Amino acid sequence: MDMKSTVKRSKQKLMGDIKRHRAFYALLILPICYFIIFKYLPIWNGQIAFKDFMPLDGVLGSRWVGLANFTDFFQSFYFTELLRNTLFYSFMKLFVSVPLSIVLAVALYESARPRFSKLVQTMTYLPHFLSWVIVYGILLVLLAPGDGIVNDIIKFLGGKPIDFLTDTKAFPWIVILSDAWKEMGWGAIIFIAALMGIDSSLFEAASVEGASAIQRVWYITLPSIRPVIFMVVLLRLGTILDAGFNQMFMLYSIPVFSVADIIDTWVYRQGLLEFRFGLATAVGLFKGAIGMLLLVFANKLVRRISDTSII
Amino acid sequence: MKRIRGMAVRLNPADRVFYGLVDFFLAVILVIVAVPLWSTITLSFRPNHFIGSNLEGMFLMPWQWSTAAYKALLGNTGFISAFSNSVKILVFGVASSLFLTIPLAYVLSIKTLPGRKYLNVFILIPYLFNIGLIPTYLVVTKLGLTNSLAAIFLPGAISTYNCLIMRGFFEGIPDELKESARIDGASELYVLLRIILPLSKPIIMTIGLYYGVTFWNDFFHAMLYLNVNHLQPLPILLRNILMASGMNEYVESSAFGEASIQAIKAASIFMSAIPMIAAYPFIQKYFTRGTLLGSVKG
Repeated sequence: MDMKSTVKRSKQKLMGDIKRHRAFYALLILPICYFIIFKYLPIWNGQIAFKDFMPLDGVLGSRWVGLANFTDFFQSFYFTELLRNTLFYSFMKLFVSVPLSIVLAVALYESARPRFSKLVQTMTYLPHFLSWVIVYGILLVLLAPGDGIVNDIIKFLGGKPIDFLTDTKAFPWIVILSDAWKEMGWGAIIFIAALMGIDSSLFEAASVEGASAIQRVWYITLPSIRPVIFMVVLLRLGTILDAGFNQMFMLYSIPVFSVADIIDTWVYRQGLLEFRFGLATAVGLFKGAIGMLLLVFANKLVRRISDTSII
Repeated sequence: MKRIRGMAVRLNPADRVFYGLVDFFLAVILVIVAVPLWSTITLSFRPNHFIGSNLEGMFLMPWQWSTAAYKALLGNTGFISAFSNSVKILVFGVASSLFLTIPLAYVLSIKTLPGRKYLNVFILIPYLFNIGLIPTYLVVTKLGLTNSLAAIFLPGAISTYNCLIMRGFFEGIPDELKESARIDGASELYVLLRIILPLSKPIIMTIGLYYGVTFWNDFFHAMLYLNVNHLQPLPILLRNILMASGMNEYVESSAFGEASIQAIKAASIFMSAIPMIAAYPFIQKYFTRGTLLGSVKG
């Protein structure tokens, strides 16, 4: 048999395959249209990062300016401050929320009172489903300088009331702790899932050998979720430039801008309040490119450590 | 002897301290989560004549509660309109999202599909490369979606993450089920609608909940795209109410009754949260299973 007929044969086979799957391709029509319009057109529009975008001239009609938008950003007074704040919040949330979620998951798993454990689990999931507008409202109830509960306690103890949301010292903690409050229960789910997979014969063996409860946690429970801990931390590192736009947008105000402004909030203000579309897109593009590299790299590492993968 | 995870275990004193500490830790966490929620709820029911701090107000008993704040909200046309806008966004959003996500996730799970690899790449590129806010804003405004509710749910109709979780679930369904139906001459659409979907209730409920939460809670897109009062959803109104320092246009003074502005604020927080709080215990049993299946394996 010569090459040509083999190629022809495999081509025919492919055509037959495609024909047999035509119903599936039909199912794809709408989702693909959606992707082209709402995911790929924006990528095409990303070219305005290299242009002096004028709404009247449109994306194609605007003048190319090379890397001017990028240099504007890198040389701007705000660049280091924005990067510093963004990384600060990302890392602090990682350091606070992830260990808290791990401890919570282990405690929920270890508790000898299953009903109580279930109740705590259900309650700690709940705040994840509340929006940041709602959490902002709850924070006002708790932290208001005049009649908030926290300041009532401070006054009761003889201290001076603090306006937490406009105080540059207190504000970062409010951001970090409110994020932990909202997300620790939800963050624990993945660890609980890993704990559920532990082979219970390990515990039986340990108890026969006379291991104490703490030894069991240290030598069985924690090591068996180690790959998942690595995975979660790596994925968080992959999105390190996302410091939580929705939260920050809701909580921050002009008095705390110096410690609150992150890349995303700045992009929003430059783009949609000051109409500097080119600059805002350039910063978005910069952030997107770094984010992609980190995520692909993190995924590679995750794949090496465990045989799971996120993408 | 004590039973732990179904096992009879003899506890020595150190273990007893350990289990005591575990439960103590969980109790502390429970208090930390519950107190902010509880204080908001009691504030919303606090009568105007209540004298005392918020701290004391937390111990206000249900038989002393006043519903004036809720009456004021429900009698307010602005609130009713915002609530119904939010419900519309929720219903149309979840429906269109599932309508687009289910077929995509299902086709992605067909291992024999020619071109499946390219399709995966096509889906993943925008997922990994987040281009940012402005380019999408230009598309939505160009399409003329400004000041229509579709601007809130259409641009985010498919979440790639949700789609991948769903694909993971579909991949776990044994092929034999589909094959036997195909041998009987069933069409692919029939297989999807009559065999796959009934088996996929947990994942559809879970993903539906995820989409629902996103749409119900959306503040940002509403702020970007909806500039007229009668289209504003609940989160926008809630933020306006929270920002208000006194009696204002958001609460008509005639309907204001004997509720304080603090109680009105707290009541609108609670009302905004109610659909999520009410829905989620029912769906919880699905999402623990659904999420676990998808998120670990992806």
